[in-house]
Amino acid sequence: MTEGSSLPGAIAAAPRPTRAEPVRLSSRSRRRIAGAARTLTILLVILVFFGPVVWIMLTALKQPRDVYSLSVIFTPTLDNLRTAFASPYFLGSRTLNSIIVTTGTIVLSLPIATAAAYAFSRFRFPGGNAWSLGVLATQFIPPVIIIIPLFVAFRSAGLLDTRLALIIANMSFVVPYSIWMIKGFIDAIPADMEEAAQIDGASRLRAIWDVVVPMAIPGIATAAIFAFVVSWNEFFYALVLSRQDAVTLQVGLMGARTERGDAWEIMAAMGLVIILPMLVLSRYVQRYFVAGLVSGSVR
Amino acid sequence: MASVELVGVEKRFGSFSALQHLDLSVADGEFLVLLGPSGCGKTTTMRMVAGLEEATAGEILIGGRRVNDALPKDRDVAMVFQNYGLYPHMSVAQNIGYPLKVRGIGGPDREGRVKRAAEKVELGPLLHRKPRELSGGQRQRVALARAIVRTPQVFLMDEPLSNLDAKLRVTMRAEIKHLQHELGVTTIYVTHDQIEAMTLAHRVAVMNGGVIQQLDTPEAIYDRPANLFVAGFIGSPPMNLVPGRIAGGTFQAPGITIAGAFPAAGGDVILGIRSEDVTIAAPGEGSIEGQVYASELTGEAVLVTVSAGGARLIARAPRSFRGGFGSPIALNVDAGKIHLFDEATGRRIAFADRSDGG
Repeated sequence: MTEGSSLPGAIAAAPRPTRAEPVRLSSRSRRRIAGAARTLTILLVILVFFGPVVWIMLTALKQPRDVYSLSVIFTPTLDNLRTAFASPYFLGSRTLNSIIVTTGTIVLSLPIATAAAYAFSRFRFPGGNAWSLGVLATQFIPPVIIIIPLFVAFRSAGLLDTRLALIIANMSFVVPYSIWMIKGFIDAIPADMEEAAQIDGASRLRAIWDVVVPMAIPGIATAAIFAFVVSWNEFFYALVLSRQDAVTLQVGLMGARTERGDAWEIMAAMGLVIILPMLVLSRYVQRYFVAGLVSGSVR
Repeated sequence: MASVELVGVEKRFGSFSALQHLDLSVADGEFLVLLGPSGCGKTTTMRMVAGLEEATAGEILIGGRRVNDALPKDRDVAMVFQNYGLYPHMSVAQNIGYPLKVRGIGGPDREGRVKRAAEKVELGPLLHRKPRELSGGQRQRVALARAIVRTPQVFLMDEPLSNLDAKLRVTMRAEIKHLQHELGVTTIYVTHDQIEAMTLAHRVAVMNGGVIQQLDTPEAIYDRPANLFVAGFIGSPPMNLVPGRIAGGTFQAPGITIAGAFPAAGGDVILGIRSEDVTIAAPGEGSIEGQVYASELTGEAVLVTVSAGGARLIARAPRSFRGGFGSPIALNVDAGKIHLFDEATGRRIAFADRSDGG
């Protein structure tokens, strides 16, 4: 408004020629420009998202002296990976720890979360929503605040530096979120079907297993992917609760920050191993994820 | 097959009383329809028989056995749900076979029984489809097949036709009736559609406000409604109800006088007469004079709404009837078909020449 009044001529005149006498572009060249713009945007997005990944992959294959050079032409080597698997980095055992902790978290969390989600969805609790909201509210407490009590508790239980401790710590945030993810799906399943199953001769538990769980699979899969991603990437609890035996990949990565400086090529080699399952996951599991997100729209 | 008995059954949800002291007994092989408006307690009654809802008080017996504390799976009933209640992740065959599967019946025995049940409801070629690939009518057939695949003691049907379109409803109605007759299984059927109730039932229990208003054969309910609620609920169009007074053997309402064999000490009453028991006549030739308020051709007849005095009466006229809005008309009432209800209590009043005992 103010601009228009201060520059009446410029503002008013500017669009007019194009309207009255548009630049005559053939529809083919206009399409070509639009196509180029789109390609450029896509390339930019790819660069932002995949640039760092590519950089890590390249660095992992570089010799230490090439690490700081921006050149993409170098003699590739597998030495970094070999070093990473050896002492003092122990990439192998750390990968195993990560796999066991992540798998353990998923395998223990999902049945618990599914059962809790069913209960919150189907039963009325004294106090109403307070319980299910309370489960979520626990997540508003920052881990930094509870890490010391948690450390003390695990120490007295003799669980420090064990994978079990990390699994339990991971479950403390995986289970609550999973409950809410799965609950949303179970809420959408009409009670009719379970009732039908019960009249057809199934016990309540059997009805849940035969009818509710298969229909909640997209939700459970979504929760599983979430559980995998967050427990695979979990760093803070693992840093505090592990020392030697239970060290995971994420914490192991810090081992490459030595007194003689950061060994970027080693970190990158470890990074490869960390990224790998994510790449596989995104390739094969994303359709479940998508199915989970759109389910409910079609009945 | 078995009888079903409800003795003094009550149901409360918190402070809300859904059912008040319900007594109902369904004979072995009987087709009983629970009919009433929504919220009348008919579905709650059925769900208590199924075991999906617990009775607050009273006893529920199936085949003479008290089942109050039995789980749904142990009651040996089959139920057809309004929304079909099919398992969307299972094929039609798996849906129908599920009651057998959970009972540990497998292999060729299960296959054979699924096939027979599917054929009975003409689903044969669709066994491998998923429920979402079926039309509403086909889904309903799957639900029926799942109910009949094992021979339960009791069929429970909760408004099974209400999600179907009008034409399909008529077809399926006949199929359900035929199926029940063929299998001879005791059936409790819930509906708010009086036509379904009239056509299907051996006996109808008309419910309102958690109380059975009348329990009788469709004929008796139509011919001798026990109270004003039943009179107004059954029949299409609903029965004409005219509040008035009986004095000296004559019924009088503003602008309406009907002479007949009324009880001498009538007092304030409501007179009921069905549209087919009211005939139209030329002005001056009937017992009630009025004007045409509206006339509606239904196909086989014309429904003429006549305003007479302070009331409106619907008469069923021959399909040739043509009367303009506001044109004068007279009505005659078949005195033998008149119903009387007590204005205060709403109950039917039996009177002299009618041997209905009601």
